[in-house]
Amino acid sequence: MNPLLKSIFSTEFAFAVIRVMTPLLLPALGVAITNLAGSVNIALEGIMLIAAFFGVLVSAFTGSLFLSLLAGIAAGVALAAILGYFHLKLKADIILGAIALNLFAAGFTIFMLFLITGDKGSTSSLKSLVFPSVHIPLIRHIPVLGDIVSGHNVLTYVAVLMVLVFYIIVYKTPLGLRIRAVGQNPDAAASVGIKVDRIKLYALMLSGFFGALGGLYLSMGYVSWFSRDMTAGRGFIAIAASTLGGNLPMGTFLASLLFGVVNAFAIYIASLNVPSELIQMIPYLVTLVALTIFSLRTLRKRPAKKEEKKLHVDEAAL
Amino acid sequence: MKKALILVLLVIMAAGILFVTSCKKKEEAAVGAEEKVKVVLYVNGTLGDKSFFDSAARGLEMAIDNLGIEGKVIEGSYDTARWEPDITQLAEGDWDIIIAGTWQLQEILEKLAPQHPEKKWFTYDTSVDYSKPGLDNVYSIMYSQNEASFLMGALSAMITTSDLPAANPEKVVGFLAGMDIPVINDFKVGFVQGVEYIDPSIKTLVSYAGSFSDPAKGKELTLAMFDQGADITFNVAGETGLGGIDAAKEKKKYTLGVDSDQYLLFADSDPEKASWIVTSMMKNVDNSIYRGIKMHLDGTLPYGEAETLGISDGGVGVADNENYTRIVPEEFRAKVKEIEDLITNGTIKVDTAIGQ
Repeated sequence: MNPLLKSIFSTEFAFAVIRVMTPLLLPALGVAITNLAGSVNIALEGIMLIAAFFGVLVSAFTGSLFLSLLAGIAAGVALAAILGYFHLKLKADIILGAIALNLFAAGFTIFMLFLITGDKGSTSSLKSLVFPSVHIPLIRHIPVLGDIVSGHNVLTYVAVLMVLVFYIIVYKTPLGLRIRAVGQNPDAAASVGIKVDRIKLYALMLSGFFGALGGLYLSMGYVSWFSRDMTAGRGFIAIAASTLGGNLPMGTFLASLLFGVVNAFAIYIASLNVPSELIQMIPYLVTLVALTIFSLRTLRKRPAKKEEKKLHVDEAAL
Repeated sequence: MKKALILVLLVIMAAGILFVTSCKKKEEAAVGAEEKVKVVLYVNGTLGDKSFFDSAARGLEMAIDNLGIEGKVIEGSYDTARWEPDITQLAEGDWDIIIAGTWQLQEILEKLAPQHPEKKWFTYDTSVDYSKPGLDNVYSIMYSQNEASFLMGALSAMITTSDLPAANPEKVVGFLAGMDIPVINDFKVGFVQGVEYIDPSIKTLVSYAGSFSDPAKGKELTLAMFDQGADITFNVAGETGLGGIDAAKEKKKYTLGVDSDQYLLFADSDPEKASWIVTSMMKNVDNSIYRGIKMHLDGTLPYGEAETLGISDGGVGVADNENYTRIVPEEFRAKVKEIEDLITNGTIKVDTAIGQ
């Protein structure tokens, strides 16, 4: 068999898909929860970057994985809370605020990097830690499946777990109910005594939490250092993934998985003699196609609803 | 009343302008007295890439320390729209020599240098088009990266067909490229030719990352090449390439560094990672800039010309460190040396991707 085909149908490829998916899934969950609350957070790029940076920094200076996890999450949540302050308290447009924070995070991390390491590119001069890879007992011995599912970075399993956490928060807790209520109709929610701004702030902080995990995965799992702008647009792809997944936990997971497959595919065929621009286009092209299909489907559903309404009106008239 | 006020303001303004201009003259006079040559290096990116731009800045620093010049590095970031106004400003400042490299600045220099004939200009890693008028004040430094890349290719080919501990039976080697641009392709052409010189049946996988700053992607691309049978890869991709080195550490395969001696870069902070960097292809931007400034001071620098620095001029070469001696057997190293001589004396002609 052709070596390329062989490698695409290998367990290594499936393994790579999961690895590529992780830094998309976590921020996608972050976008999804704010989408549900009606104030979409597009600052995930900045949140990931700042969490990636502080995680590495704290691990290098304290030697503690736990502290660096806390530091990364704290940095991500703090940035999200700042966005909340701009948007909810100062009534700034959330898109503009998020763009400002994305730019801020890119500049701030380089500035701090330079102050601390005297280097503007990466922290490769620091001895920082990485989160360990985990082999799942029992499952690891199952042929094929074990090779694909076992042996990932612990944060990858955390990411999958977060899909469940997302589900529980959104559908099984009072907070989730309020988030959805605020997102669907803030006035109605306010009329029954829900503090709309506070709920939106909670949603934003949760998105900071999910995004921070994604950032930590990049700098302390995927690779073992922080380098400037290392998120490379993953925070924006995440917006597409959550939209495509309808902001649902499983949908967001599947959409991220799709992007994982497409990206891994582009990476595997990169060594073929195909123009590189064409290959680099594939992930974005699939994003466009998927979003178009998604939009067409929702459009097709909508007229049906209108007709229903008409019927109701007619009935009422009768 | 109002008129009087306006008059007073006018007088103050006029006095102010006079004062400022007279100060400026004094400053200029002071500089003239010291007669230090002022050199500015404009980096169209940021420092910290551990290879190319850092090397250029090192060259200027060496000149400041040893040649008694005054110098400064200006970082222009990767924002392409900023470059031309920035350099225009430098051209209007009181610098004697303006250094600005890479092919991306070529057109800007071709436009600005003729407008500022009193300034001297250096460019590196590219050449201005000397068939255009008014470029007598520009000195271009090019590197024959294709020649040194040929050596990397030959070395990779010897390693992949050898029985070294981390070599596999598949006759496949990998090349991680930053972007599909002439300079990077010049590396590629030399590398592939070097591989085929040793054994034409070896397959070279080439992956373009499309970015110089996405290490996660660099790692993923390199892992994919290892997965497709490669046991050694050559990364020519800036920070993206650092991800390729990480992949080599994870899969316990060989890798080759670029521009600076990347083994020395990681030898302290991550010795295990460093141990997989067989050697690095050096592109001695620092030496070439230092050499240029020195020749300028001696008055021997050939302005209005492009110079190509190859292996024999020390412009490019193979990093010789303890890891290279540890991993690579004596006979392979001797063979690399032999090929190096054949390239220097012109027996082997290495193809190029530049100017095609």
